[in-house]
Amino acid sequence: MQHKTLFAHRPIRRGRRTLGAAAAALALMALAACSAPAASSSGGDSGEIILGRSMDVSTLDPERSLCDSCQIYNGAVYDTLLAATTADGDLQPLLAQKWEANDDNTEFTFHLDPDAVFSDGSPVEAKDVKWSFERLANLKGDPSYFMAGVKEVAAPDAATVVVTTDAPNSAFFNVVTAGYTGIINSDVAIENGATADKDAAKTDKAEQWFLKNSAGAGQYVLTSYEEGSQLVLSENKNYWGDDKPNFKKVVIKDVPDASTQLQQLQQGDIDVAMQLSFDTLDQVKSDESLTSEVVPTYNYVYLGISPGAADAPKALDDKRVREALRKAIDYDTVIDATVAGQGSKQASAIPNGFEGSDGLDVPTYDPEGAKALLAEAGASNLKLEATYPTFTIYGVNFSTMFQSIQQSMKKAGIELTLNPLDYTAWGTKFGAGELPLTAVYFAPDHPDAVQYFQYFSLAKGASWLGYSGLSENTRETKGVAKALTETGDARAATYSELGQDMIDDAIILPVVNPQVILAGGSNVSGNNYHVTRNIDLRQLKFTD
Amino acid sequence: MLRYTLKRLAIMPLLLWGIVTIAFFLSHSISSNPLASIVGTRNLGNADVVAAATQRWGLDKSLLQQYFIYIGNLLHGDLGTSFRTKEPVASDLSSRLPATLELALFALIIAVVLGIVLGVVAARNNGRLLDGALRTVALVGSSTPVFWVALLLLFVFYARLGIAAGPGRLSSRVDPPPHFTGMYTVDSLLVGNFPLFSDALSHLILPSIVMALPLLGTVIRMVRAQVLEEQSSDFVRTARAKGMTPSQVTNRHVVKNAITPVITVVGISVGMLIMGAVMVETIFTWNGIGTYAVEASRSLDFPAITGVCLVGGVIFLVSNLVTDIAYAIIDPRVRL
Repeated sequence: MQHKTLFAHRPIRRGRRTLGAAAAALALMALAACSAPAASSSGGDSGEIILGRSMDVSTLDPERSLCDSCQIYNGAVYDTLLAATTADGDLQPLLAQKWEANDDNTEFTFHLDPDAVFSDGSPVEAKDVKWSFERLANLKGDPSYFMAGVKEVAAPDAATVVVTTDAPNSAFFNVVTAGYTGIINSDVAIENGATADKDAAKTDKAEQWFLKNSAGAGQYVLTSYEEGSQLVLSENKNYWGDDKPNFKKVVIKDVPDASTQLQQLQQGDIDVAMQLSFDTLDQVKSDESLTSEVVPTYNYVYLGISPGAADAPKALDDKRVREALRKAIDYDTVIDATVAGQGSKQASAIPNGFEGSDGLDVPTYDPEGAKALLAEAGASNLKLEATYPTFTIYGVNFSTMFQSIQQSMKKAGIELTLNPLDYTAWGTKFGAGELPLTAVYFAPDHPDAVQYFQYFSLAKGASWLGYSGLSENTRETKGVAKALTETGDARAATYSELGQDMIDDAIILPVVNPQVILAGGSNVSGNNYHVTRNIDLRQLKFTD
Repeated sequence: MLRYTLKRLAIMPLLLWGIVTIAFFLSHSISSNPLASIVGTRNLGNADVVAAATQRWGLDKSLLQQYFIYIGNLLHGDLGTSFRTKEPVASDLSSRLPATLELALFALIIAVVLGIVLGVVAARNNGRLLDGALRTVALVGSSTPVFWVALLLLFVFYARLGIAAGPGRLSSRVDPPPHFTGMYTVDSLLVGNFPLFSDALSHLILPSIVMALPLLGTVIRMVRAQVLEEQSSDFVRTARAKGMTPSQVTNRHVVKNAITPVITVVGISVGMLIMGAVMVETIFTWNGIGTYAVEASRSLDFPAITGVCLVGGVIFLVSNLVTDIAYAIIDPRVRL
């Protein structure tokens, strides 16, 4: 008590001084906080556009990369021979101004645009194309499959490239619209440790160089990349095309959280938000300072069934049981639960809008039909475990999706247990073919539907032939080979037949084909979803 | 004290070797395969791609071979290359550590300065309403989930009121200063760019407040308790009897004695602040070592995981040593 009095009655000069200094320091910080956001000039004034997205960059070496963000980067920095607009749409010239194939579709000739130059001003020559394609194949990296079946790349003269394939491949022109096949300035890359030799997988040392530099002929060049922060591109002042870059600087800012993307868009800290959640759609639409549009995509999430997995119930070998699983999913409810109804059902592994998808029947929820099929197959009271990665992709949260599927399957008498795993743990099991039932996602590489048969069918060489553990479906193997000899309507008809074959396999059960919200500031126009570039910066503009 | 310091410094390499070894074998003991994150989902079943990646990243070698190669490289200052970022781990750490250090430093300043001031104020008002209010603040600060406070502050002060800086270390369309220390506030001052300094400082406020809250609560409670205890000491009565004013007694004796235990808490907290910055960094998109550590763990990026453990070990060992020395300097009764 004595001390309380002692403190209470006497002045404490030095104490006050100390308190004052501390208060002043904190006041300074508080002032800084309140004066906070530096007055940033609008994007339109500065020619700088900022895109916000959750970045999934695996690398900036275009020939080792495979990710959605890489598609944007590669498309902006490394021009390809040809360009695509939509799935199965007309191809546009880019580095190649003319192109033709032989009658067999085994030889593809590209005539390079004589005006085409790399960002350092040196001409794009046939040797660069040959080197780029050979490196892409020999690195044995993630996108090396783009060069599968390529026997030889020849450069008979500086302006002509001839690609020969082992077997007919009428999809090849579509394949070379993918950003991963972008052309690299070979002289510059070689100087910095890159090689296209047969042993490139072991001897190429250029990946770190590509993380800090670029060597393409696209509209933009790499300025800087800070993993987990942002990717900065600046205009290629030597850009050779007629369509000059719309921006002096493009910043792709890593904003992992969808709600933070919206907050930053509303505050003007980003100009385009690429992955907004559908939960916020009403808020976005009602905000007059924003522009927004909901458009369909070619992305989708599917269930994959592997009857050959070690722990798979024997019943999965029976097609009727797998068909019953397809009928036991309440697609509408799942789409409501995951993307607030902003998605579509999809018939087969060919996404809506791609060649071959028309005319195929979309699945419907039929729990009684599923029960009947299970009973017919002697698999009533089926018990299954679904093992899946715990993430959200294209707005679809896998846990939410499976909880919804679990409920709908219950009505069909199927007991589904859920086993969510961290991505790496899941990937380890998935790669080893140990998962009887899982969920994965897919986004197109290029505008040709053949990629879906090469990955999802039971044709020879298809990835899911391995994952499923089933035997090769020779009809599909022949169908894919036949389709690649064809063009036009004949090929579309074959693709459609293959789509039906994949439905009959009942290995891949597409669940949701989500749409996407294109949201931007009110001064942004041309916001888009692009089949090979994710977003095409050539269409994006400031209106002021 | 010099002998003690040298002795502690001498055993540090041994401790770090232990940390690295434990981190290396512990991370490799997980049954998952890092190739699942090195190779894209699309190619997990592609034997050629998987084989090339296995060889490229040295995962075809036995665990012991990998360990000895790692230790050999480490002795040459090479922490390996990150499976995920594809950059040298040393380079990754050196670019991210300053961001976290800057954040932790500001959080520490807030927690210590405010904590001592409020702790003394609480003690002076022992039993009164203000004391109760400050004790409540301390309790709330210590017990409220960091992520909740972070999201709340961002929502209110950034998204709704627009008076605070948002996520990130700088505003959009503002370029970072030239790299000297990697701390934007320091680097901007070094080049005399005061608007940039102000911008960097403004971005530090919300995350550093959030980061400081748990420690602030601890410091308030500790200082309050220590001040109250010291006030009833004999030396305070003696000092008063000798004619010293209450303020002189407080400033020269009570506070000095009361903050000695705080030094220990703060010293230990430095390491915890830096290595525990994950949540704050994630919410505020602060590209520091916390988010790096999380991403490394999620993708089983062995070189990065071991590198983070090594840096964490150095931070803890150094901060503990500095704490011990500071303790001895402030309290002459302590002999090292």
